[in-house]
Amino acid sequence: MKRGLLLIRLIAGLALIVPAQSFAAEALTTNQPGDSLSFVDLETLKATSEIKIGGKPAGIALSPDKTLAYVTAPDGKELIEVDAVARAVKRRLKIGEGPLGVAAHPSKPEVYVADWYSHKIAVVDATALVSVAEIPVGQSPSGLAVTPDGALLISADRDSDQVSFVDLATRKVIATAAVGKRPFGVTIDASGKTAYTANVASDDVSVIDIATRKVTATIKSGHRPYAVALAAGRGFVTGQYSGTIDVFDATTLLPVKAIDACDHPEGIEADASGSTIYAACWGDNIVLKIDAKTLQILARVKVGDGPRAFGKFLR
Amino acid sequence: MYKRLALAVALLGLVPAVASAHGPSRQKVTETIEINAPAEKVWAVIGNFQDMSWHPAFAKTEGTGANDPASAIRKLTLASGGTIDEKLNKYDAAGKSMSYEITNVDVKVVPVTNYTATLSVSGTGDKSTVEWKGAFYRGYVNNDPPPELSDEAAVAAITGVFKGGLAALKTKIETPAK
Repeated sequence: MKRGLLLIRLIAGLALIVPAQSFAAEALTTNQPGDSLSFVDLETLKATSEIKIGGKPAGIALSPDKTLAYVTAPDGKELIEVDAVARAVKRRLKIGEGPLGVAAHPSKPEVYVADWYSHKIAVVDATALVSVAEIPVGQSPSGLAVTPDGALLISADRDSDQVSFVDLATRKVIATAAVGKRPFGVTIDASGKTAYTANVASDDVSVIDIATRKVTATIKSGHRPYAVALAAGRGFVTGQYSGTIDVFDATTLLPVKAIDACDHPEGIEADASGSTIYAACWGDNIVLKIDAKTLQILARVKVGDGPRAFGKFLR
Repeated sequence: MYKRLALAVALLGLVPAVASAHGPSRQKVTETIEINAPAEKVWAVIGNFQDMSWHPAFAKTEGTGANDPASAIRKLTLASGGTIDEKLNKYDAAGKSMSYEITNVDVKVVPVTNYTATLSVSGTGDKSTVEWKGAFYRGYVNNDPPPELSDEAAVAAITGVFKGGLAALKTKIETPAK
């Protein structure tokens, strides 16, 4: 009896710990031609639901607690707030001419939306869901990323072949740096020291030292690179036209392997454990699960039509 | 003379910027056809990157690099006029699949930009399935495209090329030689 009670207490104690992780780890894919958002359970490796979004969704970011997703719809010219727990669209905001890249502040309710056509970044108050400021940057800003301390936003200005560094306190561009040709995705490492851009037209990745705001190295990638993920001391680059995920060593910057992945791999991100990579395959309508150490493809999960998952899509 | 050359150079200079920009949403077209023939026989007809003579829309294929993805390129001349430059990106003889991209085309000839496609065949016994998948953006790179350069126009054009080619391929392979 006493032992039984102890067991109950132990279980109750565990239950108290569990709520922080009460939802299964999930991947959310923006399915552009499918006009939808797929939810993939990363435990069972099955798509558990697909909700209608509209407007040809492409970009995605998550709130600091990861309960809300912010999806851009370039055709609908909207930022769409999704309750990721209830799996339902909460609010929609008409924004700009071509909203594409999106990033969320790591600690406060603020979302940044890159406008492909009007060449600026909108600052959105995520509580009221209204645009509160606009920051002019280079031509056709695409990928956005915020440093872990929330101080700096980096914008890949695709048609200016540069990145812009935006100070988020003053909401001003404080520097730019020339990178490879047509940078699209931009990723910042966990230390906030290094950024990587995937350069669509030069088939390479620019390595950027954030402190000095200079490109320190250029790494060859697959054909038409889309975005970069970081895990296990390595970089993983999706190559849209080569159908590969090209892996490099983040220290030596030497190539490790080109993984024969799928048709048009695009959005890519490492999970919180840092041991697994997930990538969306636009052409095959799947999400790939890849072991970051062995580089084996562990699973292929069917999702909606044309997943892009451009941004942070793992919760 | 120099003025004309300068103009040509200026125009050439503009091309890469235009070719690498695109509209907001990539389009996808997939067409398949069943053919009453072994996959090997079908691949023998379509598996040469340097020969598009099986497709009635193309009058001529000129290229170099055979089926080597490191170097293969081709220029297709349309029966209706105009040309398309393409580059081979992947070639899998065992898997009977090839992927390629358009490196240069006038949107008046084909109203698409940033175009890639994969042509493949699979099958068992005397039956096979040919699949042709295209990925591309519309011809007009900004908002509010004219109708002839819209998403719909791009999808209609590529669907027409794929359907027309696959139907002709089926007829060519299934019709006994006379």
